[in-house]
Order: sequence, then C-alpha cells, then structure tokens
Amino acid sequence: MLKLIIPTIMLLPLTWLSKKHMIWINTTTHSLIISPIPLLFFNQTNNNLLTYSLSFSSDPLTTPLLMLTTWLLPLMIMASQHHLYNEPLLRKKLYLSMLIILQISLIMTFTATELMMFYILFETTLIPTLIIITRWGNQPERLNAGSYFLFYTLVGSLPLLIALIHTHNTLGSLNIMLLNLSSQNLTDSWSNNLMWLAYMMAFMVKMPLYGLHLWLPKAHVEAPIAGSMVLAAVLLKLGGYGMMRLTLILSPLTKHMAYPFLMLSLWGMIMTSSICLRQTDLKSLIAYSSVSHMALVIAAILIQTPWSFTGAIVLMIAHGLTSSLLFCLANSNYERTHSRIMILSRGLQTLFPLMAFWWLMANLANLALPPTINLLGELFVLMASFSWANTTIMLTGLNMLITALYSLYMFIMTQRGMLTHHIKNMKPSLTRENMLMLMHLFPLLLLSINPNIITGFTP
Amino acid sequence: MIRRVLPHGLGRGLLTRRPGTRRGGFSLDWDGKVSEIKKKIKSILPGRSCDLLQDTSHLPPEHSDVVIVGGGVLGLSVAYWLKKLESGRNAIRVLVVERDHTYSQASTGLSVGGICQQFSLPENIQLSLFSASFLRNINEYLAVVDAPPLDLQFNPSGYLLLASEKDAAAMESKVKVQRQEGAKVSLMSPDQLRNKFPWINTEGVALASYGMENEGWFDPWCLLQGLRRKVQSLGVLFCQGEVTRFVSSSQHMLTTDDKAVVLKRIHEVHVQMDHSLEYQPVECAIVINAAGAWSAQIAALAGIGEGPPGTLQGTKLPVEPRKRYVYVWHCPQGPGLETPLVADTSGAYFRREGLGSNYLGGRSPTEQEEPDPANLEVDHDFFQDKVQSAWAGYYDYNTFDQNGVVGPHPLVVNMYFATGFSGHGLQQAPGVGRAVAEMILKGRFQTIDLSPFLFTRFYLGEKIQENIII
Repeated sequence: MLKLIIPTIMLLPLTWLSKKHMIWINTTTHSLIISPIPLLFFNQTNNNLLTYSLSFSSDPLTTPLLMLTTWLLPLMIMASQHHLYNEPLLRKKLYLSMLIILQISLIMTFTATELMMFYILFETTLIPTLIIITRWGNQPERLNAGSYFLFYTLVGSLPLLIALIHTHNTLGSLNIMLLNLSSQNLTDSWSNNLMWLAYMMAFMVKMPLYGLHLWLPKAHVEAPIAGSMVLAAVLLKLGGYGMMRLTLILSPLTKHMAYPFLMLSLWGMIMTSSICLRQTDLKSLIAYSSVSHMALVIAAILIQTPWSFTGAIVLMIAHGLTSSLLFCLANSNYERTHSRIMILSRGLQTLFPLMAFWWLMANLANLALPPTINLLGELFVLMASFSWANTTIMLTGLNMLITALYSLYMFIMTQRGMLTHHIKNMKPSLTRENMLMLMHLFPLLLLSINPNIITGFTP
Repeated sequence: MIRRVLPHGLGRGLLTRRPGTRRGGFSLDWDGKVSEIKKKIKSILPGRSCDLLQDTSHLPPEHSDVVIVGGGVLGLSVAYWLKKLESGRNAIRVLVVERDHTYSQASTGLSVGGICQQFSLPENIQLSLFSASFLRNINEYLAVVDAPPLDLQFNPSGYLLLASEKDAAAMESKVKVQRQEGAKVSLMSPDQLRNKFPWINTEGVALASYGMENEGWFDPWCLLQGLRRKVQSLGVLFCQGEVTRFVSSSQHMLTTDDKAVVLKRIHEVHVQMDHSLEYQPVECAIVINAAGAWSAQIAALAGIGEGPPGTLQGTKLPVEPRKRYVYVWHCPQGPGLETPLVADTSGAYFRREGLGSNYLGGRSPTEQEEPDPANLEVDHDFFQDKVQSAWAGYYDYNTFDQNGVVGPHPLVVNMYFATGFSGHGLQQAPGVGRAVAEMILKGRFQTIDLSPFLFTRFYLGEKIQENIII
C-alpha cells in the first residue's frame, strides 16, 4: 500500500516546489499517474483478505472506493482551475495542499486495518474539508455551513471513539481481520444497545441519514467545486464503508436496532426526492439527490444480506461518479452566469450541444437508466429490501419514480426552453471541462460492461 | 518600607492599580461589552447570519442574482413582477439598490401622478390600460398580510386634451388608434366643450379629446410605499448605497458577416455606502438599470457609449435629467370637482388639487427655456402669476424620442433597461415592470410587446415619437 501512499504524500513537495506555470500541469499529471495503482488490487482470486502490510490492506470492499478516491483527485484539480485563476500563487498552492492532504487521509482511511487508525483518519478528513469549505467557498453563509458540517460530524463520532476503546478492551484487538474471526455474540442489554448506537451514529451522520442530513445541503451549496466533488463522491461513502466494516462485530443486535433507521431512511429517501422537485437552486437539488441515494445505501447496509451489500457498494461507486459529474456540470453553469438559479439559465442546449450531451448522460445515470451500474445497485437494494419486507417495494418504487421525475426536470429546466438574452454570450465549453465530464462518464459506462469488480464480497 | 510592601488597603502608590481594573478597563462600558458578547453568541445559533468577524449587517449581501439599480416606482415594479412571475418561492434573489432612502430627488414622489391613455403609440396605450387595471385592483396585487389596504386616492376625472386647427386631424387619427386599443376616449367640438365645461375658454380650440374611463390622477407616494411593502414581504432585499463600479468580463466574437464585436457581461456590482469609502462587491447575474434621471451615469459605468460615434458601441443611452416645475395656486371661483386634467394647445396643463379650490399645473418649457437640472430649485418667474407653492422634479428625459427604453442592451448582455420615460414613467410602471420580468424569465415579451422600445433603435435611428407630451 505504500506504493500508493508515498507518491500521494510526495505530491505535496511537488505542489510547493512547482513553478507558477507548471503547478496545474504537474499536479494533474502526477495524480493521474497515481490513480491506476488501485487497479492492482482488483481481481483477487480468492475472497481472503490480500494483505500487503500489517497496517494497510485492501479487500474487495475497499478497492472500488479506493479507486474512486484516487481517480477523483485529478478531476478535482482540473475542476478548480477556473475559480482559483485570480488568486495569488501561495493560495493556489495552499488549496492544492489541502486537497492532497485530504487525499492522503482518505486513502489511509480506506485501507486501514486497525479500526482505531481508521477512526483517527476519519476525523482527520474533516479538517482539510472544513478549511476548503470555509476559506474558499463563495458566500458568507459558508461559515455557518462549515460549523454545521464540523459539529454534526464531530458530535456523531465522539461516541464512536468510546465504543471503539471499549471493544478494544473486551476483544483485545481492533484489527479487521481478527474481528472477522472473533465473533462476540452481544447480548440484548441496554449498554450493548447504546454501544450499537454509538458505533452507528457517526456513520449515520456522515451518510447522511434523513433526520441528520441538515448539514449536507448547506455544505454542498457553499463549498467550492472541488469541495463539493469530494464531499459528494467520497466523504459520504466513508460512512457506508465504516458501517459495513462495523456490522461484523455488532451482530445480532442489528436485527432489532436497525428498525428505526431503516424506517427513517426509507421514508427519508422519498422526502428528499420530493424536495428535489421543488428546488430552484441547482446545487441544492443535487445535494438533496445525494441524500436520497445515500438513504438507499443505508437501508441496504442495515438489511445485511449478501445482495444488499453488493447493491450498497455498487450504488456508492455509481453515485460517487454521477454526483460528482452533476456538480461539475452545475459549476460550469455557475462560472458563466454567476448564479446558481435554474430559471436564469435555460435553453443551454442550443448554445452548448456537447455539454448538453454530458448533461443528458449525467441525468440518465442519476435516474438509474439501464444498463448503468446505478440501476444495478438500485435493483439489488430493491430486491433485498423486498425480501426483507414485501411492502418496502411501494416506497422504493415510488422513490425510483420521483428520482426519474426530478432528474428529467433538472435536464429540461437547464437544457430545453427559451434562451434568454443575458445568456447569449457565454464562453464556449473549454476542452478542460469536456475532458472532466468525459473522465467522469467513462468509468461509469465501462463499469456497466463489467460490474463484477465492484460487487464486493459476493462473486 | 513596610508601608510600600502592603498591597492594598491604605496608601496607594502611583503604580498600584485597583484590583479588577486593567488599562482600558474591561469594567468600563460593561453594558456595551455584554451586548456585544450576546450578539456574537446569537450569531452562532442556527438561523442567523454569521457575522463573527465583522458586522456587515448594513452592507448588501455578497451575492444576488438580480441587482436593480434604482428604487423608484419602475425599479420596484420590476422587482415585484420578478417575484410574482418566478416559478417557485424565493427562487431568485433580488437586491434593490437605492441611493437616497428619503426619495428626495426621485421622480416618483415629485410626480403629478396622472394616468391617461391618450397616446399615439399603441404600446403606450396598452401599458397605460394595464396600469389602470393594476391600480384599480391594487389591493389584490399588493396585499400584505395584516397590513391596511392601500388608498391610492384615485380621482377618475379624466384627461382633456385641447387641439388647435392645425393639430385637429392628428388628434382625430390618434383617437382612432386609442379606440382600437380599447381606450374610451370621446372627441368633442368647441360647442360640446362649452356645454360640458362652462368655465372653459374655447378660443383657438378646434377639437378636444376627453378620456372617459381609466384616466385621472392618483397619489404616487402611496403606490411607491405599497410596492415597497409588498416587495419586502416577497423577500426582496433593500440596500442603501450608490453603484460605483461594474466589474465585467468581455468576449471578442465575430458576427455572421465576420465583423468583430465585443460582448460584455457584468458579473459584479460595487455598491458604495453613504458618506464612506466602504463598498461591497455584489456578485450578480443580471443588472437592471432603473435609475431614472441618472440612468445615463449607470450606463456609462457599464461602458455603454464608449466607442466611435455612429457605431453600436458608441451609442450612448440618451437619457438625461430635465427639470420641470409644478406650481400650486388658489382660485376660489375655479372649475368644479369634475374638472379633468386639462392640457392646453400650448402645452400648459392644470388639474384640481384637493377640495379647497387649489389647482396645480405647469408647462413643458421650450428648448431654449430649459432650466438647469443641477438642482431642484424652483424659478418662480417661470409662472406669471402669484403662486401658493411650487416644486420641481426631474423627468428622465429621453432626448432621442421621448419614449421609454425597455429591454436588454445588445452588447452588455445582462443589463436590462427600464428607464427614459420622459414624464410618463409612473403611469406605465406596472406594465413595464411586467414586460422586463417576462424578458428576463421567459426570453421575450409575452403580454405587451415592447420591442419598439428596445435600445437598438438608438443605433438604427428609428424614432418612435409621441405627438405631444405633457
């Protein structure tokens, strides 16, 4: 794993020692070169954990998320070029350093074998994200957004620390491989139930679960583009990853403790999808759609069948790429009109036909069009929840309908309609932007040909 | 020695301080400090704007989708219709920037307040007709919960325009157009005039047109306050300040016949606070120029008119302030309560003011007699008789064809105009506001087609002229 971590750490001196005209080229190229390294961890011939070291390892759950993380860094750097254009060199370097530090913490979080190290790095990812949102966001509300983000996540995860230490004391080790083998059958007592809550709340806040999702629209809307991308694509998946790792040691409490959260997520996904239909701010719409998709993932992880786990992982990867793509598209709009409101930028298909194609693909992927992996994930989760309880099909089916509605609404509002006069001079699409969209879409479409690699532990 | 060692109590030296005080003293201004701490704690709580670093509550927000320069009746009308025609609640953020919150020099408050449909251009007639229906139903349009209804004091007495021999034919054709558009205007001969208005002196009058419905005068201040109240309840932000700079980005493009053209887009408006150097850059998507008599200054800030004369880049916005006087006099045996606003063949006009036999009126000066628009001082010699009081107001006078400029500028693509109405802006404000809002939200004029009023006519030289203006 050091073959991935050390080059990422070395991106930091690369940023600081680059000349002014080489800074973007250097960082983008080198992060692109680093990004195929997780491909080595795919295609493991048996499901046993392929350990590379005592502290870092990668298994079929980790590897897709790791690939997503490393693929996203060059994309984030490409997307940030425009809004940092007028900043002094020092600030550009600081911004890139924040992104790279975030990347290092994320890679180490996903590959950590020891749960305590996972926790420490989980908290570490908060700091560069907070700095990016509050320092480089666009509106004065970003201070508020940053505080919400920080405090929600911190308060959720402090009980996790206590629960982890307690488990370390009882079980002797927090190594994931050993936890697989030493199953503790937790009895149904108050303290054990509280411990279950302590474990899960951190990740529920991170995902986010419907009742605790207040920080997400704020943080997404106020963050700069790279912040939004990394938040939507990777940081939310940290929650899912953590939940999937920790459900090993929490059985059989999950069978009855999961009920309220399942209800909340099933209801919440319909609520947030409906909110999307009434949103006027484009970024806010995409943020709520993130909450809706992640609610499905929470439901899948709490049901705990092999197919639902597969559905959860596939949905996480698919949503990461799609949501990041939608944020990039919304940002390309915002950079031109300086406004995030949908009704002020309509009829863009006549101006930017190629960008309209990317918009179409992004929205079709968002509404889980076959044969994309979005559909694969949703179908698996749908089937698993149906087998868990027959009536959930009504809720999940309704959610798929509303998702389709708001995705098409987003497309029609921005691309079709009458072009208004103040949109008529917009700079044509830059190659960098088209490249960005293509690099998002390309893995998404390729994966629909061979989704075996991201299906997790089931063969 | 011992005495010097004693820390407190008796005998203070010059260097000892009382306990609890420090230089500058925290205990001084205790109440002020406590209220400051309370304010900081309140600003952290959810739902409040976060002003931890410095207090920015007097500044406009850093971002607003639409910035309306000018808070008079036209600017507020555009804000109202933008909020009314948007598809969801609070979809668009609108900011109205007004330099003078007392409206001391604004044309709206100083206006005579008349509304009439007796124009020669069908668009003007349609605008006035719509405004009349707006004013008639004003308490449905501008209703705010728990606020008293508006009393516009609309006097539906009509307008009476007198024409001499040489203007009679023009007046007849005008009335025909007005009737086609739906205005109710009647033509009267001198005999009918004397019959209806016995006090009138019909010497030199060949024909008169009398508006019978939807014409009269009202209180413009009431309309302004009603609009302001409603617009604030719909969520429009107000800010007192002066627009001093537009930051724009240009793009060089080629037209279809390979001519180079530079298209500009304003993306930031610098609003400077009153009596201070402090300014706030407001990031915006659309700017609306509703600055009335000072619209030309705002247009010049955006770079309109910088170019060789005769080209589209060099076409300035031809709106300038012109001062007009209004005089009030007392006439005990004057015409009765039914008196319309009478406009003479020479352009002088008068109307009844109140119920105490007071009348107000004035006349548009000829080109040579134009008063100096530098201030609003009244020249009492302009009126030849004894007056009770007088005031002056500005017309946002369009020197090109004395009709309004509505719609976007061809080169500065996100600046929309709603100005230059040369004295009839107040009566056309609701219609114009709706037209500009439709242009912004839907891309074209939907209800009333104001395409003859676009900016391009200044470059193309197409004058749309009214025959008489009062």
